[in-house]
Amino acid sequence: MSLFWLDHYAHLSSPMHRWEARYKLIGLFALMFSMAAVNDLRLAPVMLVLAAGCFLLSRLPLGFLISRLRYPGFFLLAVVLLVPLMSGETVLVQFGWLAVRQEGLGLMLVIVARFVSILTVSIVLFGTQPFVTSVQAMAALGLPPLLTEMILYFYRYLSDMAAMLAQMQRAMWLRGFQGHRLSSLPAYATLMGSLLLRSYAQSERVYLAMRLRGYGAAPRSRGQFRATGYDRAALALALMCAAGLVAATWWL
Amino acid sequence: MHIADGILPLAVSVAGYATTSGLTWFSLRRIKQLPDPQAGVPRAALVAAGFFVVSWIHIPIPPTSVHLLLNGLMGILLGWYAFPAILIGLFFQAVMFQHGGLVSLGVNATLIGAPALLAHLLAQLSRQRGWLAPQRQASMGVVGFVIGATALAMSVLLFFAVQLFSFDQIDPTLQRNALLVAVVGYLPLILIEGVLTAMVITFLARVQPVLLGGVATPRPELAGRVASVQEG
Repeated sequence: MSLFWLDHYAHLSSPMHRWEARYKLIGLFALMFSMAAVNDLRLAPVMLVLAAGCFLLSRLPLGFLISRLRYPGFFLLAVVLLVPLMSGETVLVQFGWLAVRQEGLGLMLVIVARFVSILTVSIVLFGTQPFVTSVQAMAALGLPPLLTEMILYFYRYLSDMAAMLAQMQRAMWLRGFQGHRLSSLPAYATLMGSLLLRSYAQSERVYLAMRLRGYGAAPRSRGQFRATGYDRAALALALMCAAGLVAATWWL
Repeated sequence: MHIADGILPLAVSVAGYATTSGLTWFSLRRIKQLPDPQAGVPRAALVAAGFFVVSWIHIPIPPTSVHLLLNGLMGILLGWYAFPAILIGLFFQAVMFQHGGLVSLGVNATLIGAPALLAHLLAQLSRQRGWLAPQRQASMGVVGFVIGATALAMSVLLFFAVQLFSFDQIDPTLQRNALLVAVVGYLPLILIEGVLTAMVITFLARVQPVLLGGVATPRPELAGRVASVQEG
């Protein structure tokens, strides 16, 4: 699994790619939260159309979206398939002691629509700009510097750690480790401890190298952002859509 | 243990963000009171990345396998950095793998991060009493087990409390019974988490005991080397 899929389509040209990162974060986060407020099935199509609109404007490939939705979708299905059996009073279909209820089915459809819509918007948000730009935009919006630095280090070294784990597991298997039984727990503990040790040792080297280059002496740049009329108009539109969804939910 | 986007009502998600903001503020305040807060940043971030990767390991519980949460171990090793590290790990899971979600990030961070802070406080208490001293392997194992199991048990209880609070349309008796079955189903996982936490900290005590003092504790010989280079 590639860890850096986020940046695969970050350099396309589309209205979403052109939207300045800080404004896009605010606008699309507001839209995601307003989608989480929807609890009426009649608003589900509106929410899905808004998410589809965002996706179309991003010009990201459909296969890319489907590949990102597939895996979490299985987890969600396992949860929501129980809802029509556990919620509501109006029985639609009865299979012996199992009854599918209308209210539960409605709730399940709302949850699935919210899930698909929010995930689509989040993929558009982080798929249409380099990840580092997203982090710089969050820093510019007030994310504490300590968190910003931790995110950047985490992002930089995550693939190194993943490669380290793969290498260590391959070495264990080549030495005949099977690891299918509970009795192999000590070997797993050693693997985990060794990986944590290696990450600590690497962090020591990184920290010392950075200290020697003046780390901590000067404040880190929060990125250069400049908003245009287009960015402000797009933000206003996103906020209006979000407010509209919340108002409609409250009114219905 | 992650709650996906779309499942929780908005009020619960907002409450989760409020709790997470409070816990992050509190953790950052405590980090700033450390002797050299910036020194811990790369260490905490890289060890957090190590934890993130370690949580991908499939641990066999025949006939299936599970992933560990390791929030107790994170509390022991990362100290006050544990909560920000968990928040960042969950943010990456939501953005890169769509596990959990951005709207439910606050709730997920509270479910996993608050028990990690409790684990840190328990570890601090154990250090003061000398139960986490590298030469006392048996007491270290017991402390590791208790902290690892307690942190996961607390996360499980918080997880089901959130579920219970969020779905008022579901028949309460049926929901309570389903949650009770689920909590009982988590018991083996809580035991495994405790056992592995104990094993990992006794392993670290043998090979690199300085890590058990928390990641903000630098190795003295390396800190001395940097100081001498900077002075020179």
